[in-house]
Amino acid sequence: MTLGGAWIVMRKEVVDNLRDRRTLAAALFYPLLGPVLLVLLLTVIGRSFSDRAESALELPLIGAEHAPNLVRFLTQQGAEILPAPPDPEAAVKAGDVDLVLVIPASFTEQFRAGEPASLQLISDESRQSATISIRRARQLLDAYSGQVSALRLLARGISPVVVQPLSIEDLSVATPQSQAAGFMNMTGYFLIYSIFIGGMYLAIDTTAGERERKSLEPLLLSPLPRRELVLGKLGATLVFTLVAVVETLLAFGIVLNRIPLEDYLGIRFGLSGAAILRVFLIVLPILPLASALQIIIASFTRSFKEAQNYLSMLPLVPALPGLFLAFLPVKPSLWAMLIPTFGQQLLINQVMRDEPIASAHLVVSAGTTLVAAVLLIGLAVRLYERETLVFGR
Amino acid sequence: MIEAIGLHKAFGPVVAVDNLSFEARDGRVTGLLGPNGSGKTTTLRLLCTILVPDRGQACVDGIDAAVDPRAVRARIGALPESRGLYPRLTARENVRYFGRLHGLRGEALESTIDRLGRRLEMQAILDRRVEGFSSGERVKVALARALVHAPRNVILDEPTTGLDVSGTRGVRTLIRRLRDEGHCLLFSSHIMQEVSALCDDIVVVSKGRAAAAGSPADLMQATGQSQLEDAFVAIIGSEEGLG
Repeated sequence: MTLGGAWIVMRKEVVDNLRDRRTLAAALFYPLLGPVLLVLLLTVIGRSFSDRAESALELPLIGAEHAPNLVRFLTQQGAEILPAPPDPEAAVKAGDVDLVLVIPASFTEQFRAGEPASLQLISDESRQSATISIRRARQLLDAYSGQVSALRLLARGISPVVVQPLSIEDLSVATPQSQAAGFMNMTGYFLIYSIFIGGMYLAIDTTAGERERKSLEPLLLSPLPRRELVLGKLGATLVFTLVAVVETLLAFGIVLNRIPLEDYLGIRFGLSGAAILRVFLIVLPILPLASALQIIIASFTRSFKEAQNYLSMLPLVPALPGLFLAFLPVKPSLWAMLIPTFGQQLLINQVMRDEPIASAHLVVSAGTTLVAAVLLIGLAVRLYERETLVFGR
Repeated sequence: MIEAIGLHKAFGPVVAVDNLSFEARDGRVTGLLGPNGSGKTTTLRLLCTILVPDRGQACVDGIDAAVDPRAVRARIGALPESRGLYPRLTARENVRYFGRLHGLRGEALESTIDRLGRRLEMQAILDRRVEGFSSGERVKVALARALVHAPRNVILDEPTTGLDVSGTRGVRTLIRRLRDEGHCLLFSSHIMQEVSALCDDIVVVSKGRAAAAGSPADLMQATGQSQLEDAFVAIIGSEEGLG
């Protein structure tokens, strides 16, 4: 099998599409979306987290006069007692304040009688930004409750240790790297996105575009075997996709190594050159798969617009599992490796967490993806060998 | 030399070409004349190996298109019905791409392109991007593309469609010159004046069949008419009007 013809087609398509602004933008600009978004996310979230953790807890409070001792305790522990807004529930709901502590008039009476004195903590747990304030307020109230109960037991001659059957010591095994990986799980998603966007316009231009501008029939009149025609177009798509992927990886490398994220997050993490290379090798088998898929879909459509509609949906499909992974980690297993693009995202996450990768996982993931890619390329060639191709469909 | 031997092609229930036979010889201009929808384009596509006949044979220089379609394609230069160019490439790059696909290279290819540029009087636009070309200029580029590999056989599907007077004259001159150089020319048209002005042989196609074939004189004699136009009407005019 000679591939000289495929090389001619590939070179022409690359040169032709380098002159197209839309294709170039897709290949060079869109891949930067992920890294840029990651920087924004990490800095914004990181800043708000570290702000809340370090600053004094702002605690709007109603009925301070009913529990002067509690209020004194809270102030000593660093809480800043504020007057509560007139309608506390509405204010919390609207997000004006993170929470409001309400001390009812009955508190004094119940506390003095040694009954459980009720307090109300108005909060909105669904509001992510308020979770740290709520947790800190609860910890303070628990600490006060513990202190008072210890004093009451001592007053009755009982050791407080008796009512403390458990002693919990927090031992977090999360390394700074793995904490940060929560955000970094999105890297896999953005890489897949780059793979499906980098060569997208070229895949459309060389198939649906070729038919739309009526240059397909003259092309089919050349003595070039159809197989080489498809391989040439596939090769050109691969070139653009490769550029997009390399660009995305380099951008992630710069973002994670050069931007002082530890200032915002309080955790330091980076992505070494070796890790970037490993991620690159992991995603490499997806490239021919994505390119073949794009060429097949675009060849079935009648116009550039129609092809664009379908192909812009395409990156969402493999990206969905990646998005879930950002919130719901799945442990890498052999069955997951059988799914092209899903296995790779799990492996990327392992690289990000600096975990060892099972070589069986690597082989199965690359193997199934490559087999799928070869089958799709075969399908694309078959499609171009059909005589109805010239009419569309 | 192009031969159609009992060609038959149907798309579903629609028979486009029905047992069509004719031959187009070297050094002659053969015209396929017929109304729109009579099967001219499908016939040319069968001869160019774009379509495969259900029955019958398409032969070019004695090579059966079904046996060796690539050899047939190498011997044909065609201006098909769709003749789109690559707008972001220059005229020269458009022609060069097809020259390379036909196996031409380097200096020989460039001098061929220059020669075609002179012949088609398009040197001035040769190194401009095709985007914004007039339809006459586009046809010139498409013709240069079809002729870049110096094919013995030239197939032109309605070559003067959309051209102005001088463009039409240019194409007619080219057809005659290619004929005089010994090429085999086959072109389709629904314009009678064009066929009568150019053709040595005429195949009248109606409903996918060859309704009549021969030189203009043959056709007039066979129908007993003194004008070619009347001869056409006598052959097919009673069934369908000519455009």
